[in-house]
Amino acid sequence: MDESRYSGYTLVVMKNLNLFTILYIAVIMSSSLSGYIQENSALAFLAKVDQMPMVGWKVPVVSMGLYIAFLLVLYLQSESNLSLFLKVCLELAISFYISYVIGFSYTGIVLLILADTMRYFPKSRARLLFMVFISIFYLLIDYNLLSAYYGVAPLEAYLGYYQTEISSVLLGLKNVLNSLNMLVFLVYIILLVRMQFSEKERVLALNEQLNATNEELRCANMQLEEYAKESEKAAEARERNRLAREIHDTLGHALTGIITGIEACTTLMDVAPEATKEQLKAIAEVARQGVIDVRRSVKALRPDALEKFNLEKALAQAIQEMKRATNAEISYQCSAKLNCFDEDEENIIYRIVQECITNSIRHGKASKIQIQIGREFEILKICIKDNGIGCSNVHKGFGLHHMEERLDLLGGSLSYHGEDGFAVEAQLPIRWGTEEKKHD
Amino acid sequence: MEPKRDKKVIAMCILCVALLAGMWLIYTDLYQRLPFFQDRTITIGVFSDSYWEVPNGYSYQILEDAIQVFRESHPGVEVEYVSGIMKEDYSEWLAEQLLAGRAPDLFFVLSDDFNDLAEIGALKDLTLLIEKDKGFQKEEFYSSAYEYGQYHGVQYSLPYECAPKLMFVNKSILDREGLEIPDENWDWDQFYEICQKVTRDTDGNGIIDQFGVVGYTWEEAFESNGIKLFDQQGKECYLSDAKAEASLVFVEKLQELNNGYNATARDFDLGNVVFQPMSFSEYRAYKPYPLSIKKYSSFEWGCIPMPSGPKGDNISTLETLRIAMNGDTRHTADAWELMKILTCDERIQSEIFTYSEGVSVLKEVTESDKTLQQLIESSVDSRSLNLEILSGAVENAVVAPRFRNYDEAMAEVDKAVNDILEGKSNIRMEQIIWNRKINKFLE
Repeated sequence: MDESRYSGYTLVVMKNLNLFTILYIAVIMSSSLSGYIQENSALAFLAKVDQMPMVGWKVPVVSMGLYIAFLLVLYLQSESNLSLFLKVCLELAISFYISYVIGFSYTGIVLLILADTMRYFPKSRARLLFMVFISIFYLLIDYNLLSAYYGVAPLEAYLGYYQTEISSVLLGLKNVLNSLNMLVFLVYIILLVRMQFSEKERVLALNEQLNATNEELRCANMQLEEYAKESEKAAEARERNRLAREIHDTLGHALTGIITGIEACTTLMDVAPEATKEQLKAIAEVARQGVIDVRRSVKALRPDALEKFNLEKALAQAIQEMKRATNAEISYQCSAKLNCFDEDEENIIYRIVQECITNSIRHGKASKIQIQIGREFEILKICIKDNGIGCSNVHKGFGLHHMEERLDLLGGSLSYHGEDGFAVEAQLPIRWGTEEKKHD
Repeated sequence: MEPKRDKKVIAMCILCVALLAGMWLIYTDLYQRLPFFQDRTITIGVFSDSYWEVPNGYSYQILEDAIQVFRESHPGVEVEYVSGIMKEDYSEWLAEQLLAGRAPDLFFVLSDDFNDLAEIGALKDLTLLIEKDKGFQKEEFYSSAYEYGQYHGVQYSLPYECAPKLMFVNKSILDREGLEIPDENWDWDQFYEICQKVTRDTDGNGIIDQFGVVGYTWEEAFESNGIKLFDQQGKECYLSDAKAEASLVFVEKLQELNNGYNATARDFDLGNVVFQPMSFSEYRAYKPYPLSIKKYSSFEWGCIPMPSGPKGDNISTLETLRIAMNGDTRHTADAWELMKILTCDERIQSEIFTYSEGVSVLKEVTESDKTLQQLIESSVDSRSLNLEILSGAVENAVVAPRFRNYDEAMAEVDKAVNDILEGKSNIRMEQIIWNRKINKFLE
């Protein structure tokens, strides 16, 4: 992050600034001492101070040595609160002695400690304690306060060596350095606060995002649950319907064929026993087919004919079987290719044809049935017409109802009328993008 | 932590500790005790002329003899001193040496510098050395002189030589006027009476030309009337004391005798004044000093203690030359031995009467017959000086408080007293007003 890099730079600037300031003051002190000696006013200087000053050359040497030691301590990382506390204490002790050596004329080094310690604050819970501790130290380390206990010569006594203008310039420069140190400290704090602030903001934003996502997720979950319930119900109903359809389609169809066949046999039995035999064989075939259908329905609930053959062949077979079983005349015309439908569509087409033939024979007592399958634009049209008794007032039986339902699911429609026999017309939209498969 | 980082941290800790230790060695000067710096040369700071403002030819004689004694008992230890520093330059020289960290291990301390040097910690506290040294008997010293070596109750120096203040008497005038020389327990009344009697116009020209006293100031009056002017810390002044009032009234009375004429030291030299307070060193200097022989050949003179006030004693202050040890010396033991030879060795101390103008700080030495002999040899008239008077004056001397700015405070009091004496208003009121002012100054 930018702020953390900048605050690192600021700390480096502070360290250098403190080094320079301390060295500056130490050099002033030591050169003023040697000046006093050369000028033969050492006695006057001693009369001004409360404590024997340190020998001139020692001031820069000791203060710089201590400052280097201070930087080393500053560089050490501390991992626990206790070690941080020890580190801070050591730093404060060294900074106190540096300030002591330079006559408590500069105490900005404590700000450096504060700045350095603040780096640990995000990690440390005791930060307030540390801050207060160092700040109190900073407030107390003041010449006027400490000179009562530690007799040190004030910087002014040293500056007294220089002429008034020079000494005021020197003092002014020291104050500038001190202010500069405070300014850099301020910048550092601002950077630190900004760093913490942006961190907080980022966390906050992330949190908000998380909450929103959570909410969405909860909604989606609820929807999903509802949908699952619905879908379960729907699947249940569909399955029930399908089961009913299957029973109706397979068993109903077979049984109708058988009943019609047997009725024919009863009539024929005395007249033409041979034909009856033939008829019975056909009935047996229908019954067997019915059994197979039932078995298969139970197994996969799918017409076996469709399983074995494609739609066209399955239809042809079904019509053929019906023809044989009922003696009705069934004509079948198909002008459309039937090889482009999905399984569910194939199923419904097959079932419609099958159902309608069954209905015509069972209810209409028809002897002629016409089946036409054609395509008009994107709609497949299935027309089944018979010459049976018809029905002026159509009573929707299970079969018709079922067909309607199944067509509805696929977006198709069913229409029928019962005058002049019974006619059924089913329209099934061909699915978008579904092309007739090229003849293979 | 990685091992590499670990090693770095340890190296830094070691470096840090080494730096701190090094700075400590430099700061405390302990580095000078390292074998590399070891040497056994003691230096001593001394000035070339007499402390008592009297030129003599023996400036380093006593010191040389002391060094000789020291060398005999401490072979292998060298003693050095810088010669040729005049007394007037000595304070500055010493301050420069102290500032530069080159100050001698032992040095003589002038009265004016003692308070400052003791205050800023340039002098070594001798308490421990004194306690440890069984051979050191502080009772051998005059208690007043010994006490002068203290600052705020701490022994920072030992006295080397001293000089009490005595009253000079012109015996010739007293003989002429038919008066007896007062005894050593005389008081202000006797003093005033004599002054009153001798103060007159002898040649009849209408101008007073014979006086009672010259140079007797409020200081002498205060000292002999038991006035403690300041507390030991120099924070408070007791100028408003009733005893001070009596002293001021007495000084005023003495001044009024002269009828407005101010007698000077020259009048005393010419033999026209009976009394003049004078340091013992000045008294001794009169004889060997060629000019003064001529100066005083015209009259007979002697010396007695100061007259006592109604609440005080026949006492005055003591001037003391002290020896102190450098607070930063690294030869404490050797320096202490040399210091003792200079101050407590009777052979060396008795040389003070031979080569200097002061008084030995050892009772035994000052009161010995040998001293009397020496004084007579150095042509002090035995009739004019009683050794008991001298010894008593030293022993009973007033020990003035020692604090920083003592001299400035005394100057303030001087200003106050002059103002009070010149003003015609109520002395008591003025005292209180000035006392307040001086207290403010002391703060």
